[in-house]
Amino acid sequence: MGGIKVISTANYRTQKVCGTWYLLRRYQVPYTFLFPSFVLTLIFLVFPIASGLLLSLQQSTLSGEARFVGVGNFALLFREARFLNNLRLSLLYVLGNLSLSVPLAYSAAILITSPELRGISVFRALFLLPFITAPVVSSVIFLSLTDASSGPMTFLLTRILGNRPVILANPTLAMWTIIGHSFWRSFSFIMLFLAAGITAIPLELYEAARVDGASSWQLFSKITFPLTKIHLALSMLIITMWTLQDAETVYALTRGGPGYATEVLAVRLFKDAFVNFNLNLGAAIGMILLGMSLIFMLAYLRLMTGEET
Amino acid sequence: MKIKARVIVKWMGLVLIAAFVLFPLLWGLKVSLTPRYEVSFLPSQITLEHYHYIFSRPEFLNYTRNSVVVTLGTIIITLPLAILGGYALARFTFPGKELSFLFLVFPLLPLIAVLVPLVSYLNRLGLYNKHFGLIIVNSVFNLPLAIWMLRNFLLEVPVEIEEAALVDGCSRLQVITRITMPLMIPGLVAVTIFVFITTWNNYLYAAALITKPALRVLPQGILAFIGTWGTYWGGLTAAGMVALAPPVILFLFFQRWFIAGLFGQMLK
Repeated sequence: MGGIKVISTANYRTQKVCGTWYLLRRYQVPYTFLFPSFVLTLIFLVFPIASGLLLSLQQSTLSGEARFVGVGNFALLFREARFLNNLRLSLLYVLGNLSLSVPLAYSAAILITSPELRGISVFRALFLLPFITAPVVSSVIFLSLTDASSGPMTFLLTRILGNRPVILANPTLAMWTIIGHSFWRSFSFIMLFLAAGITAIPLELYEAARVDGASSWQLFSKITFPLTKIHLALSMLIITMWTLQDAETVYALTRGGPGYATEVLAVRLFKDAFVNFNLNLGAAIGMILLGMSLIFMLAYLRLMTGEET
Repeated sequence: MKIKARVIVKWMGLVLIAAFVLFPLLWGLKVSLTPRYEVSFLPSQITLEHYHYIFSRPEFLNYTRNSVVVTLGTIIITLPLAILGGYALARFTFPGKELSFLFLVFPLLPLIAVLVPLVSYLNRLGLYNKHFGLIIVNSVFNLPLAIWMLRNFLLEVPVEIEEAALVDGCSRLQVITRITMPLMIPGLVAVTIFVFITTWNNYLYAAALITKPALRVLPQGILAFIGTWGTYWGGLTAAGMVALAPPVILFLFFQRWFIAGLFGQMLK
């Protein structure tokens, strides 16, 4: 059995008595192949998280000395109205983006997988364009769309509201702009996940249901939706993570303003750490962001596995 | 007749969504091609003055060159490591392999939180404000997903030929370079384009690790232009279109492989 995949690993745990060196020799090839990636990930990803934790528990004096302050930075943050607002806006940003993206993603996924239509693979590529556009570039475009004197969105809103708004100077409209921008960028990502799920559903299922007199809504709620739940949860998880940590589009569009009206957590972190160089506070916000991500991840994971069983 | 009506409704839906997707991009293109104070939706004349302007700016050319250096550097480091890692995960079982699920978790973590300590880290290593530091960070952050994509791709490439070559006395590296790599070209293209697009488009890592104006990459440059040019939308969108062109061209050429690599495989 001199194969590649067939190297038996059934009992490697019992072989541990032979020591680490034995394992390293026996699995020399895969370990060697993974070694550089492993080391780089350790140095540039795992260690920084650890030292970020340390950083978040310290405060630097002007002379550059670090002083251990325990949870002082966190206590400071949670007593601050601005920070609580950052937290609230982050959740609003994620929730707003998802509640706009998911319905459109479902509609688009059903359309591009529709067996009755031909030649629609062009649309699949087209719909993905926002996803591959650089965040800074789409931000520039959205800035010009909402420009107070020449932007078409301003014209449109002038028609609706009756007076000419300065979109990004209005707290509510500014928040809607950053949500709309993220929605435009991310719906097609969810769409492709859902489309992959839908193409895996056998067509006979729909035909049988239609013969039995099921309505279109029933086809969706009884077949499409239950069978794409996993795809939905997974793509929602990814978009949640991206929206939560998105600093660049919000920073490019509004810098968190007007005032702090669009200052989501990630932008606050970006400003504190990389504009004002308060690394300790930045690290503390980073840890909070990391904690929120883990909570979201576990929640989605539970949703996915809970529904499988 | 009823079926025909349904098809028409579906086409209308597709066109509507396409309009929503394309409108901002076409607007950007239109603004970059019309004279400065022209405000009508359909331009009466087209001009290349904004493109002339940005290409006459030495700093714009410099930012573009920096972006090319960083992006190509990231691909050069990421690709070989991802091939080796993906190969190890696809072809071997070994103790500790269970941990490879972390490769899917890492890309989801808020890397902005990792960037804060990385700044002082890279500073100590002498890599702060260096393109090489940015290249390393981009590579490491792209590596997990790149390894995973190639692993999934390799699982679909038959192992029998490799086994035969090993029996005939090829070394493992020879097998990879002479036999496996030619078979996995679509996967390699997908990963290369993925790394290209994410690195080329990225603003955040550069903003954290590069502060010297001369070393800025293109997205940083464009954001700086917003600060200095204010509402000169012609120039800003022209710069945006130049930054947008390479990802779009690559994507349109290889979209089938790219989509299969990113979505088909990730769902497995």
